[in-house]
Amino acid sequence: MSEKREISRRTFLNYALMGTGGFLAAGMITPMIRFAVDPLLKHSAGGDKVAVGSIDEFGAEPKRVEFKVHTKDGWYESESVLAAWVTKNDKGEVTALSPVCKHLGCTVDWNKGEHENEYFCPCHMGRYKIDGAHVLGTPPTKSLDLYETEVKDGKLYLGKIKPNPLPGVTG
Amino acid sequence: MAKHDKDATFVGDSRISAKRIPNIAPSYSEFPGKSEPFWPNFLLKEWMVAAVCLVGYLLLTVSHPSPLTDKANPNDTSFVPLPDWYFLFLYQMLKYPWASGDWVVFGTIIFPGVAFTALVLAPWLDAGKDRRPKKRPVATGIMLLSLIGIFYLTWAANDEHSRLHPSNGGHSAGGATAPAAPAEKADSSFKPDAVWTAQTSCQGCHGVNMEGVAGPNLQKVGSKLDANQIADIIKNGKGGMPPGMFQGSDDDLKKLAEYMASLK
Amino acid sequence: MLQKMYDWVDERLNITPMWRDLADHEVPEHVNPAHHFSAFVYCFGGLTFFITVIQILSGMFLTMYYVPDIINAYESVKYLQNEVAFGVIVRGMHHWGASLVIVMMFLHTLRVFFTGAYKKPRELNWVVGMLIFFVMLGLGFTGYLLPWDNTAYFATKVGLEIANSVPVIGPYAKALLTGGDIVGAQTLSRFFAIHVFFLPGALLGLLGAHFVMIRAQGISGPL
Repeated sequence: MSEKREISRRTFLNYALMGTGGFLAAGMITPMIRFAVDPLLKHSAGGDKVAVGSIDEFGAEPKRVEFKVHTKDGWYESESVLAAWVTKNDKGEVTALSPVCKHLGCTVDWNKGEHENEYFCPCHMGRYKIDGAHVLGTPPTKSLDLYETEVKDGKLYLGKIKPNPLPGVTG
Repeated sequence: MAKHDKDATFVGDSRISAKRIPNIAPSYSEFPGKSEPFWPNFLLKEWMVAAVCLVGYLLLTVSHPSPLTDKANPNDTSFVPLPDWYFLFLYQMLKYPWASGDWVVFGTIIFPGVAFTALVLAPWLDAGKDRRPKKRPVATGIMLLSLIGIFYLTWAANDEHSRLHPSNGGHSAGGATAPAAPAEKADSSFKPDAVWTAQTSCQGCHGVNMEGVAGPNLQKVGSKLDANQIADIIKNGKGGMPPGMFQGSDDDLKKLAEYMASLK
Repeated sequence: MLQKMYDWVDERLNITPMWRDLADHEVPEHVNPAHHFSAFVYCFGGLTFFITVIQILSGMFLTMYYVPDIINAYESVKYLQNEVAFGVIVRGMHHWGASLVIVMMFLHTLRVFFTGAYKKPRELNWVVGMLIFFVMLGLGFTGYLLPWDNTAYFATKVGLEIANSVPVIGPYAKALLTGGDIVGAQTLSRFFAIHVFFLPGALLGLLGAHFVMIRAQGISGPL
């Protein structure tokens, strides 16, 4: 009888020790873990869209716009200038392409010299169609990136850059 | 503690035994055959090997200053990255069609994962008693094949990189002897001459005002290169810059090169 | 004098048995390059440790000048390398040592593998050794970013993109390492913390376990 009580007492103390140890560990580690994973849970700050002009300015012919975005990197904040080629089709759908070539990041230009109705990158002769689709056989292997677009109160807003899913075309 | 025998005596009220073991090294006759004590015999040999290594190592540090390329510039999109050499084989694998695109999971997780798990579990996978490499051909064979694979991939990555991007292999620029000056600050008030503004292809990479975009800033290029060198680079390209981008006559080219050489 | 100091400490802490165990343990003939030159392959483990010690020391001294901040990191590295006396040597030791330690560890691993030294009863030590290998690779990856030059920046970006392509956990791992959306100020300070505190802490623990196990089990016998 007494022996049995001895064991259960030891077991109880062991459990109590584990519990206290667990509390100590959790109490120490929890704030630190939350501290470390904060960037994971923080709402992405770069989501603000920037107005680049009235929607009526844009048509089937690509038009280049420049706009400033506010970038925040931890405790550093800065302004950077971005550019976009904007087109609007008959249905009123707006496409905003990033001018950064997907090959090595030079800047593409619309309707340059003999490259009619194409985006042309002067660095290594990369070519893209009007919808940003890359022309097969030229250096780029991806289509020009797209900006997220939104039309509000007759104004065009551009947001984050996202990859363009269009496959390459021959031409 | 409970095992202490009752006659044991301690230093004061501590638990340190009062019995002293004499601090005497055993005689060499106690080491059978050609075995020897760790201290000082064997350690001396190890330290002599270490001394040779250290000398070679110090010579290396003095003769090859650690590389330091230009300050990180997230907008320098012409820079072709290369990981440290011991990650190259993993990096190279991702370039093959069976380990990239839709199959990238193979390249990033499955192949390395299987290989490293197998390596960690080697004692259980290769559980036979025999230790000689020839007596366990499967383990030895797989290891040799992996070694060949790793060496080949590392070589292939380096070879490909130095063939495609001879300019920024990342090995060239030593910190102390760095030929590469830090990127000049773009001068926003700088206005280039008409001979430059006519060259739209150049502006694609070097910027409308020569401030540098994907290519380097050229606002002070004359302080580093003379007109002939500039003309040569314009004609033949350099590093990531393709040849023959210039549009115009040889006379125009000469004018542009002279203008650029005057920028200091 | 020295003898008296030793006796004084020994009387209080009884250190002689520990010391004699370390000093007098027997080194067998088959690992001794003085008897068989081919036994030099047994040196790689010790050399790995030697270079690790250099890495720890030179790293400690580098932090006297280094600042983990995107504005100043590059300038501080440039300064310590070019302006500080022997800066080339100290940074060189840390930079080249990082490669050398991988080479030595690789050779040590191959020696253990091809001599079958990881077999019973030494399985656990092999596993600990593998963990040391991964920690070293982690140290290499995080340390590569710290000079904040173009090589470092873009190599890290590629590395993080590779991490990102891992299904399910990849994006989280990347965000955790990057500390935000872009490789920037938070990434650098995170990599610094990992490189200087987290991984070295793990490394010291694992190395301790590695050595205690070697001492307890002895070196594996001749083939």
